[in-house]
Amino acid sequence: MVTGFRWLAGAVLLLSLGLMVGAQEPQPERFLLTFIPNIQFSPMYTAIEQGYFAEAGYDVTLEYLNEPDVIDLVAAGQVNFGVASGEQVILANVRSRPVNFVYNWFQQYPVGIVTSADSGITSMNDFKGKKIGIPGRFGASYTGLVALLNMAELTEADVELVEIGFNAPEALCIGQVDAAAVYSNNEPLQIQLRAADGDCGDIRDVTVIPVSDAGSFVSNGLITNVDYITESPERVQAFVSAFDQGLKDTINNPARAYLLSAPYIETLPLTPDLEARLTELADIQDTFLALEPTRDDVTASREELRSLLHEEFDDATLIQFDILLNTIEMWDADVPGFSDLDAWENMVTTLTAMGLLDTDVNLDRIYTNEFVPEPPASNG
Amino acid sequence: MNLPDALHTSSLFITKPKRRRTFASIKAKWRFLVPLLTPLVILLGWHTLTARALYPAFIIPPPADVARAFVEAMQDGTLPKAFGVTFSQVMIGLAIGSILGLSLGYILGRLPVLETLFAPLIIAFQSTPVVAYAPLLLIWFGSGHTSKIFTCAVIVFFPLLMNTLVGIRQIPASLKDVFRVLRASWWHTFTRLELPGALPVILTGFKTSATLSVIGAIVGEFVSAGDGLGTLVTKARYDYNTPLVYVAILTMTTLALSLYSLVSLLEWRLLRWQRAARG
Repeated sequence: MVTGFRWLAGAVLLLSLGLMVGAQEPQPERFLLTFIPNIQFSPMYTAIEQGYFAEAGYDVTLEYLNEPDVIDLVAAGQVNFGVASGEQVILANVRSRPVNFVYNWFQQYPVGIVTSADSGITSMNDFKGKKIGIPGRFGASYTGLVALLNMAELTEADVELVEIGFNAPEALCIGQVDAAAVYSNNEPLQIQLRAADGDCGDIRDVTVIPVSDAGSFVSNGLITNVDYITESPERVQAFVSAFDQGLKDTINNPARAYLLSAPYIETLPLTPDLEARLTELADIQDTFLALEPTRDDVTASREELRSLLHEEFDDATLIQFDILLNTIEMWDADVPGFSDLDAWENMVTTLTAMGLLDTDVNLDRIYTNEFVPEPPASNG
Repeated sequence: MNLPDALHTSSLFITKPKRRRTFASIKAKWRFLVPLLTPLVILLGWHTLTARALYPAFIIPPPADVARAFVEAMQDGTLPKAFGVTFSQVMIGLAIGSILGLSLGYILGRLPVLETLFAPLIIAFQSTPVVAYAPLLLIWFGSGHTSKIFTCAVIVFFPLLMNTLVGIRQIPASLKDVFRVLRASWWHTFTRLELPGALPVILTGFKTSATLSVIGAIVGEFVSAGDGLGTLVTKARYDYNTPLVYVAILTMTTLALSLYSLVSLLEWRLLRWQRAARG
């Protein structure tokens, strides 16, 4: 009888151990990003590398697709999370895709119109009769351009739209277009770099007219399936909170974020000297952050970081780091992740003016701030 | 009356000939009906799949939704315009690619030395997927029709080049010798030996090229937008209008099938002599 009891105790112990191991196993989770690996996705890379998703119980793998495919896969319930732009989420919902926007990643609409600084163009009114390059008559770039045209009381008929794919720097440099709709944190820097090398035709410098001049518009954020929110709100909260931590870490310590992103982006410029210097600066920034600086102090520290690095490294080496710093300006907010109703309503108005919406839209069913982590009590 | 005729008219054998004729006519009708039945079977399967809601409608829309999208796209002119743009790009690209492929294929087929010289270049070009250098074509030729026509011509060129080369080469040397001995002119040799001899292989290549030409035009449109069927697919995707995506794809398929059928008809017409020779 004693032997039997020992066998039973052993079996119970083994079973308990098995259950414990099973409970600690993180849940595999695919996360859908768009196009290709890019420094603009560094909050995601940072969150993974810092272990925030693992702590939340997720083993995240990243995939890169076109935006409509991201939305359709999330809507079909084949993947739980992805990134998409607000105007795509609105259109998808109107077309019966059950997706919900749960975290507003970009607080500023990133699209702008870039042109040569010598073109004489200083406002949207100056674009009358000019050739403007767009990837195509779809997506955030096109929507942003229309918003700017509406602001200047112009229509598409007042300008000449040229569909140039995703080749804005080339098209501008060879004079195929007078201006182009681009992500203002990215392509203008690349064009400036080419111009500095004398590799951009007559262009020496650029001017950017941001869409944000026309008002606030909802941009890129995290999406999930409506049914998943109903079935597992705690899982959604855990995922969003992990991402939120990664975003805040990136905003607060871009040097660290750049280093953590390097394994995910094959072509990211990272010479041994730059890597050593960024590591040193990241450690210094960690010490600075331990003093609980204000948000303005952190902003100032980023600019100081930019100036310091430019004294030591050339523009070509730092191009992607500069893009990261520029993009951080679009993410930073008092409450990162929070969606503003005005931004959504402006987007609905623009889409309606474009003829893409012909019904009323219930924004309550499209986005939520329910999962946005509250800021800490002592927020700088 | 000879014995076989007598046998056929004898009442003892009347059932066998009737059974052969009946079976032959059923076989002929079946061969005609199968191409018509296949789309009907697919349509029925599609309808059953959507009626049972095995997939969300935004993944596989019901046939009725696609039909409705087709009617709307025809009425507002979206589909005719997109079809017209792609069709013109396909025809021009097919013409340019065919002329270049046939000409160069003939020259290389006649002059093996040149084939050795150009082979590495041809193989390198043929091995490189068009989608890889299509963005470069956009920069070189702009976002207008030229880049799409060029993409189409490049895709059409290689199958015709290779098939023409093979067609010319496979003509028996003994026949070429006969023409040489009889001091036939180049034109005589070309029109009476080389062209008829190589035509079956060339037309096979032409069938491949005709269907690939649609792919070429669509790839060009996916890379550099525009107003054709490829762009219609992209716009419909970003508008989450899945039925319209299906309409555009089915239109592309119809275009490719039509071109293939036209070439098959041309092949049937031009190779009558071959069928007659076989008896």
